Amino acid sequence: MVESVALRDDELQRIVERLGREPSVVELHAFDAQWSEHCSYKSTRHHLKRLPVSGAGVVLGPGEDAGALHLGTHAGQAYAVVVAHESHNHPSQIVPFEGAATGVGGIVRDVLCMGAEVIAVADPLRLGRVERAGAHARHVAQGVVDGIAAYANAIGVPNLAGDAYFEEGFDENCLVNVVALGLVKENELIHSYAPKGAEDWAIVLVGKATDPSGFGGASFSSLALDATAAQASKGAVQVPDPFLKSVLMRASYRVFALLRERKVSAAFKDLGAGGIMGCSAEITAHGGYGAQIDLDRVNVAVERMAPEVIAVGETQERLLWVLPPEIAGEVVRIYNEEFTLPEVAYNARATIVGRVTAEPRYVMRYRGKTVMDVESEFLAGSIRDELPYTEVIRHTTAVEELPAIDVETLLPRVLAHRDVASREPLYRRYDAVVRGATVLPRGAADAGVLAPIPGSRLGVALAVAGNPRYGRIDPGYAAEHAVVEAMRRVVAIGARPIGLTNCLNFGNPRKPEQYGAFVAAVDGLARAATELDLPFVSGNVSLYNESVAGAAIPASAIVACIGALDDVAQCVTPGLKQAGSALLWIGSRELAAGGSVLAELLGSDGNLPAISYGGERAAVGIVHDSIVRGVLRSCRAVSDGGMLTALARLAFDAMLRGRSVGAEIDFGNPLCETGGFICEVSDESEIDLTGALQIGRTIAGTELIVNGARFEIARLHEIWSRPLAGIYP
Amino acid sequence: MSGRIAVPVFPGTNSEDETVRLLRDCGGDAELVHWSAPERLAEYDAYVLSGGFAYEDRIRAGAIAAHDRIMDFVIEAAAAGKLVFGICNGAQILLEAGLVPGTGPIRRPTAAFATNLPEAHFVCRHVYLKLAVEPARCAMTAALPPNALVPAWAAHAEGRLAATPAHLDEIAAGRHVAFVYAHANGRVDDDAVPNGSALRCAGLVNRAGNVLAVMPHPERDGWNFNHLERCVGDDVLAPSGGATLFRSFVQAVAQS
Repeated sequence: MVESVALRDDELQRIVERLGREPSVVELHAFDAQWSEHCSYKSTRHHLKRLPVSGAGVVLGPGEDAGALHLGTHAGQAYAVVVAHESHNHPSQIVPFEGAATGVGGIVRDVLCMGAEVIAVADPLRLGRVERAGAHARHVAQGVVDGIAAYANAIGVPNLAGDAYFEEGFDENCLVNVVALGLVKENELIHSYAPKGAEDWAIVLVGKATDPSGFGGASFSSLALDATAAQASKGAVQVPDPFLKSVLMRASYRVFALLRERKVSAAFKDLGAGGIMGCSAEITAHGGYGAQIDLDRVNVAVERMAPEVIAVGETQERLLWVLPPEIAGEVVRIYNEEFTLPEVAYNARATIVGRVTAEPRYVMRYRGKTVMDVESEFLAGSIRDELPYTEVIRHTTAVEELPAIDVETLLPRVLAHRDVASREPLYRRYDAVVRGATVLPRGAADAGVLAPIPGSRLGVALAVAGNPRYGRIDPGYAAEHAVVEAMRRVVAIGARPIGLTNCLNFGNPRKPEQYGAFVAAVDGLARAATELDLPFVSGNVSLYNESVAGAAIPASAIVACIGALDDVAQCVTPGLKQAGSALLWIGSRELAAGGSVLAELLGSDGNLPAISYGGERAAVGIVHDSIVRGVLRSCRAVSDGGMLTALARLAFDAMLRGRSVGAEIDFGNPLCETGGFICEVSDESEIDLTGALQIGRTIAGTELIVNGARFEIARLHEIWSRPLAGIYP
Repeated sequence: MSGRIAVPVFPGTNSEDETVRLLRDCGGDAELVHWSAPERLAEYDAYVLSGGFAYEDRIRAGAIAAHDRIMDFVIEAAAAGKLVFGICNGAQILLEAGLVPGTGPIRRPTAAFATNLPEAHFVCRHVYLKLAVEPARCAMTAALPPNALVPAWAAHAEGRLAATPAHLDEIAAGRHVAFVYAHANGRVDDDAVPNGSALRCAGLVNRAGNVLAVMPHPERDGWNFNHLERCVGDDVLAPSGGATLFRSFVQAVAQS
């Protein structure tokens, strides 16, 4: 059959049996896309069912283009935060700038199509070793940052959160995850499926002219990368156009307003994997309908494109509406005339390309012929692959005796470590403040914060986590830890965690030990989220992330946590505030060095720090209590580089704001990454200290004094600031 | 009687909403005017060109937008003495249109906002604008105190004032540098400059003082909740910081 499809023989057999004939070329490519791992989640969906997805704050759980969480009520109106999380790993490895930029473009559409205004993006990155000039990993690391910056800056969406790890395991397969947030009034949410009574409604394609770019993208991202295939697959990577997207977003906001005025319902969906076919099949099938699409009506960029390329090509910057016929013309006019799409990009426009049919068949016509005619449910329904996997062994998390460490020499080395050093050279390329709603910009604190509703004190916080040093050791633990760590970061700035998203980046599911790592990670996410009572409202799976030699990447369950603030005035501002405060370590302090930066520098192993959910819940309570009582002056979650790194960063922020505040502490091993929070508290006697330990006090001056060793804060800041500046000059 | 302020939107403009919001919170009567209806611009008394990437910053930031029909109206308005205020991409457009420093013919710029140096890429950094002329030199800064400091965010890839030595002398001598970059304490030195701008220039004013172009965004540090150093008891929703420049602009519109 056709060589360029990834369908397996048994899958082809199923198609032939069901159709009672050989599929047409268009049908073959359609099933290839729809049944790819990327679209179907065929080997992961049944595992993902174990994740908790409901709760009082859930406005919309997983299943559509994005999920939504209740943020709060302002002027009698309930608002939701729309959340989406995806990866664009394989494209970014091959063409880093375009791959990462289109990653942002895609996630923004996922949020936009829920009827939301796009208010923020975040970018968890897992990059290779960048030290060597000329290394491809370095080129990738630079290119993806520039691509994310170019896209999000241009469309005017602030970068609110993100992280970056640099590991050998990502040399040949980087991870570019992107998160986007949107804001919508809860009663104005638009769904990704045709609503009741949508028979004969218009199917309207909006955006860039369809071109041959991105043909085969869905199946491409569902295969492992190898070097020659990578070159050949460059055509499967799409071309970003943030300029067009900027106009498309604003035009869509105008259409949302029109739908509100007319009080009509509609469905709106991003064109992602599977192109026009995938999107129109799902938006209709998920409402119980069929569709009839006329490929001749599609606005194309080049003549004589094959129908299968028009049908499933993944040209960027396109969306699809299902609209009542009486309003479709007006919507088309808004895009084409008021927002002049055809003048913004070549042949970009809104076009009616088909209609919704009551009969649940998906039919495509091209040049007067039927080129596709299949049952909608067979095409867009769920398929399942039960793959064998090997149980992964959990590593122990017992408390251990740690060797005495020399803080004087180790602290500077920890601060200069690639996982700890300042990310500012990277994120200063990102616009953190466009829209004027930023309360805590990217990098200022553990989480970013926005005041997204004009005239309202409500705030939304966002943080990400997922430590590959744990992922290398224990995929299940790493996933659990990612949930806990993302939550801590949101708590540390004073927000109430309300929900989660995930992106599961793993190896080849057809290798039982790599698939086993995925299964263990799902269990870890489920356990942590259940214990902490936080729902997952959206997520994404990216498989086949391997090196050329077939080694899986470090297990990477990457989690984003969304927080809510009833009043942004209560958000904890960066940096130590004044001398004479008590410094408390709240939450887990079990001494364990496994997976830490310290362990790597010492060349030792060690056990992983135990996660105590009771302790986490108590710690969150203490932090909240101290904010409410107005005694918390500053706070950071303990993470990479340990408690002392968290304290050093509080001292750096004080120094950068012209405050001469240092600290003096005494604690056995302050470089363990065991978690919890380091808090500057005005009067420790007022709060319940169960679970808190006073480790020292803030002092006047410019020094950090640790177990008697004295450090100039300015010198530590210099050491911490420098390492990434060479890679991101 | 307050005058009406238009905030024109080009394809690619991205800071229009917060610009309108802060103008309104500062008492201005501001609204968006879309690129598909530029003829409406003639009805307004003042203009604020907001940030973004108009026409994708093709060729150079502002180069295409300076030739858009929107700018026909803005150029005519400026010549008639109406107030024109450009921020970031808006400033780049005003420079490309020849309205600032205004020392050459219209649409024949004598200076450029060139690619940042030494970091030759987009840089997002908190800065302070320091008023570098006597307040009354420009109608829109007249309500600011001498040497006023205005917090703002630099967020651009092309903001470095560059010109020939002769033109830079002309800009300096004509007191066209309305704002320079400064530290929080008001000190002015090269470390405060995020982009290598000549004359440490952060903002330009034309000869008549009715066209002002600033590169950093005051509207992104324009409300109490935007400031990292909030004081307990402040109304977080109140305009402040960067809003001082917007207020001064709105007052000038009211008096014009």
